Amino acid sequence: MTYTNEQVSHLVEGTLDWDTTFRMLSMPKDNERFGQYLAALQSKVSFKDRIVLPLSPHMYIVQSAKTKQWVIKCDCGHEFCDYTDNWKMHALIHVRDTEEAMAEIYPKLMAPDTNWQVYREYFCPTCGVMHDVEAPTPWYPVIHDFEPDIEAFYKDWVGLPVPERAA
Amino acid sequence: MEVLQASQVQVLGIDAGGTMTDTFFVRGDGRFVVGKAQSNPGDESLAIYNSSVDALAHWGREVDDVYPELATCVYSGTAMLNRVLMRKGLDVGLICNRGFEQIHSMGRALQSYLGYALEDRIHLNTHRYDEPLVPVSRTRGVTERTDVQGKIVIPLREEEVRQATRELVEAGSQAIVICLLQSHKNEKSEQRARDLAREELKALGVDIPVFASVDYYPSRKESHRMNTTILEAYGAEPSRQTLKKVSDRFKKHGAKFDLRVMATHGGTISWKAKELARTIVSGPIGGVIGSKLLGEYLGDENIACSDIGGTSFDVALITKGSFAIKSDPDMARLVLSLPLVAMDSVGAGAGSFVRLDPYSKSLKLGPDSAGYRVGTCWPESGLDTVSVSDCHVVLGYLNPNNFLGGAIKLDVQRARDHIKAQIADPLGLSVEDAAAGVIELLDLTLSEYLRANISAKGYNPAEFTCFSYGGAGPVHTYGYTEGVGFKDVVVPAWAAGFSAFGCACADFEYRYDKSVDLGVAQLASDEVKAAACATLQEAWSELATKVIEEFVINGYKPEDVMLIPGYKMQYMGQLNDLEIVSPVSTAATAADWQQIIEAFENMYGRVYAKSARSPELGFSVTGAILRGTVVTQKPVLPEDPDCGPTPPKEAYLGTRPFYRKKKWVDAALWKMEALKAGNHIVGPAIIESDATTFVVPDGFETTIDKHRLFHLKEAR
Repeated sequence: MTYTNEQVSHLVEGTLDWDTTFRMLSMPKDNERFGQYLAALQSKVSFKDRIVLPLSPHMYIVQSAKTKQWVIKCDCGHEFCDYTDNWKMHALIHVRDTEEAMAEIYPKLMAPDTNWQVYREYFCPTCGVMHDVEAPTPWYPVIHDFEPDIEAFYKDWVGLPVPERAA
Repeated sequence: MEVLQASQVQVLGIDAGGTMTDTFFVRGDGRFVVGKAQSNPGDESLAIYNSSVDALAHWGREVDDVYPELATCVYSGTAMLNRVLMRKGLDVGLICNRGFEQIHSMGRALQSYLGYALEDRIHLNTHRYDEPLVPVSRTRGVTERTDVQGKIVIPLREEEVRQATRELVEAGSQAIVICLLQSHKNEKSEQRARDLAREELKALGVDIPVFASVDYYPSRKESHRMNTTILEAYGAEPSRQTLKKVSDRFKKHGAKFDLRVMATHGGTISWKAKELARTIVSGPIGGVIGSKLLGEYLGDENIACSDIGGTSFDVALITKGSFAIKSDPDMARLVLSLPLVAMDSVGAGAGSFVRLDPYSKSLKLGPDSAGYRVGTCWPESGLDTVSVSDCHVVLGYLNPNNFLGGAIKLDVQRARDHIKAQIADPLGLSVEDAAAGVIELLDLTLSEYLRANISAKGYNPAEFTCFSYGGAGPVHTYGYTEGVGFKDVVVPAWAAGFSAFGCACADFEYRYDKSVDLGVAQLASDEVKAAACATLQEAWSELATKVIEEFVINGYKPEDVMLIPGYKMQYMGQLNDLEIVSPVSTAATAADWQQIIEAFENMYGRVYAKSARSPELGFSVTGAILRGTVVTQKPVLPEDPDCGPTPPKEAYLGTRPFYRKKKWVDAALWKMEALKAGNHIVGPAIIESDATTFVVPDGFETTIDKHRLFHLKEAR
């Protein structure tokens, strides 16, 4: 089973028809999908750097066009850090740790007790898009949630050559 | 005069399927012809006309002089189903209990995965709700509550009904459905709401129909009852227009018969019938009805009906001469309360796509299929995924130059190339062995399914005759019956038109159901038993009025109608009821009750085991059933003289290389139409006709009987 690049772009946009989506969901994954997926994402961003791995709807690990270093980058082109770093440490953070702050997003009495749980919202310093929300206990350190083994993923899982990386 | 009578065409059966419209004409002497034409969803009547022309050409006759001869015509088709699937019905407004406005959209949660294969059902990401038949924006709740015992605990707020009616009209409703909780237990509030809505519509000067669930489907299970009533409002009227068009075209060509439609309960009803929702599925049922009639001819009481089409394999069982009825089936991804001939289906058929799982390297059939596009062997199909048909073509099962009577030419090399690239090479097999592996997998899947279906219900295949039909049935018959151990395996010469034939066999029969709740202890007093009889009788009388009303619409007199009462009964506290044809025509006394429970206990002993009977639990009646029929013309089977075991020379068409069990052999080719009663053929042989191919491989033999039925046996 293979799909066209156009179908994969519709998948990324959320505009793929249901019959095709259903087939994709219920059949074993097609071999070429990851390559097509990257191409669809690449065509949506304005920067030249090559996308190595998507991290979230607006965030990618990219290979810098100039230095070949792997860095974490926002849709808008804002560069956070090296791909092994925790990007959250380089983002703008808004913490909801009071009843009033919770009341902005929940009806009264339906929010968590902020002595037990707080929300930390992470934003891009350049374009302001929200990249992530954490819901930890107040004292918990910033979570580093994803440390992908990109070499293994490319070589052993999707069978593609690993993109070049400058140390 | 005798001869002329015999050659008159009497019965027409129609199966308007999604891709092909089949017609089946039967003469007074039992001779028949099958016609095929491409379906035409825009105007079904045209496809029926074309199919009729195709059929009658075999006799050299014209539609205009045959239609006036016909005494009976039964239609089965997908018009209603397509209308629902494509959501092209009326804009219906719904009045329900306040607080329950979202119930219809929620579809009992299970509507999000109805019709899915098991692996998708347990894969939550694939679950999805279809657009509801009635949007929440055209749904209004009214304050009212009747409890499960039927007691009104909150009376209907009448002003809210009026208000809701006004709002629904304002919102553009073309029909109003009213379905209140527990109305099958106590219909008062719902009927009051219905009358109020009608008054209000009259006051507004708006002429739209009002459908109350109690007037149509007074059965327990709220979602089922609501869906069915909505379906009636949503699809029945437009479908009636389609059927009227069909009827009008018949009239134009001189037809004098009244068109009847196959319904889910296995009888046929008039296109003028009040309840048309029950015509939503009809095609596959035809085959079961036809099997029942054939069984009566052959003296077989126990029949496994197997229908293999392009996309699915349907199995139904006839035991002791009757088929089972399911009372709350699901169709078109909706839970419904309609009586439906019970059938089980697996999504593997002759057109199923074949793929190799890239990780486990195992073959996977379906669930999707090539449908009318056959497979990669048909260059114009635009397909590049291998289908089961491709494997058949490569292995010599099918004649590439005579598919559908030569209507399309198949390209063997193209199929070979695709099988090689997609299946044979990755598995390191020859094309033949890869294709044969696919066929073996399909045969195994189907025979396991068939065997499981029979033994899971507690029966032994050795007591069953297997009927095999459907366009692709006879190609696979040997494969899915081998080793199951059936008493006999029968392939009708008209397998391709069998559903249409079956429709023509069906009674003109209305069936109405009503939920009742009766519990009577084993040793209850005579008064209690008589009271139970009175309740049952009251339900029957109510249903009789509805049944007779339907026949009167078609110009029958009430005294022409034969009424057959029935009931659903279970031991008190058990979960599954059995449907019983009542041994008494009216119920009044304790003696009647005794007969009623005896009939149930006999059936229970037959279905489960005598020793499992538990009269000490007492008896519950859960439903009353009333069927009414009138006499109609049915097809008769041909009776041919025995011409001995040797087939006539002109039936022999030569040989074709045929691959099975790792070797090519030369299979003898026979022309099905030229074979005579009594002829005996030993495999490897392939018997061809325009519409179907009957494969008799090495190790099998077949004899054709006087009714033009092939009996397939494993050679010893």
